[in-house]
Amino acid sequence: MPDLPELNPVVHGRLRLALLSLLSGVEEAEFTWLRTKTEATDGNLGAQLLKLEEAGYVAVEKKFVLRKPQTLYRITEPGRQALIEYVQALKQLLGPAIDA
Amino acid sequence: MQDQTTGQELKDRLNLIETMIAEGRRNTESWGWTFVVWGVAYYLAVAWSAWGHSVWAWPATVFIAVIVSIVLAFLKVGNQPGTTLGRAIGSIWIALGISMFLLFLALGLSGRLTDQHLFVAVISAILGMANGASALILRWKVQFACAVVWWVAAVTTCFGTDAQSTIVFLVAIFLCQIVFGIYGVIAGAQERQRRGPIHA
Repeated sequence: MPDLPELNPVVHGRLRLALLSLLSGVEEAEFTWLRTKTEATDGNLGAQLLKLEEAGYVAVEKKFVLRKPQTLYRITEPGRQALIEYVQALKQLLGPAIDA
Repeated sequence: MQDQTTGQELKDRLNLIETMIAEGRRNTESWGWTFVVWGVAYYLAVAWSAWGHSVWAWPATVFIAVIVSIVLAFLKVGNQPGTTLGRAIGSIWIALGISMFLLFLALGLSGRLTDQHLFVAVISAILGMANGASALILRWKVQFACAVVWWVAAVTTCFGTDAQSTIVFLVAIFLCQIVFGIYGVIAGAQERQRRGPIHA
């Protein structure tokens, strides 16, 4: 019997998983857009994004647009790879139950 | 970790991924209003050139429509993130706007914008190309129908009288800009209403 895969704990967090998934579909996204989509609080969202940044899964860019500060996040290649591997592990764990 | 994670939880995670990826890629803004703006601009340009007989009718109207579109787009887009798909579609229409502005400015200033049939054929063919390309990328049958209408207009205007050419052009603008634009606005609003909020 083959070994069951381990789920990446950084990706597995519900909000972190949502953030990685959201970022995988766009080129880059503002903090406010991510907050609207996930309905998370500023503190929680900032903390989870920091964990993803520390893991090297997202990259952050801070800039000023019309004198307003803007924080942009984008998924990195390791982040995209981690998400792909997480989905593959999930599918393997679920097996036939995936269609149930 | 999976020892503590139930199968239902894992399925929820999979659903969450699918929902969020779709949410990120979805163009959350309706762009139907741009078609209406440009439809009105075309009608104004046609009226101005018909009654005002000015070489500036088309270049000036197209220039103003470009400015209005840029300002409205900037106000509506806000903090919406860019997607590759959005950039692909946007590039088609930006290139179309620049091409039309330069072409009709040059034709107007050189005094060679004299053949109405050729003018309608060129503008209809360009719009058919842009709508067709956008429809093929988006796999949107309604927009492809608009492309077909523009292509039909481009061909038929080469053979009819001046009056028939004008009618064909006005009908194509009405169907492909005004009607399609309003349809896009309504469809976009219904889509946003149907989706509702998502929770991570």
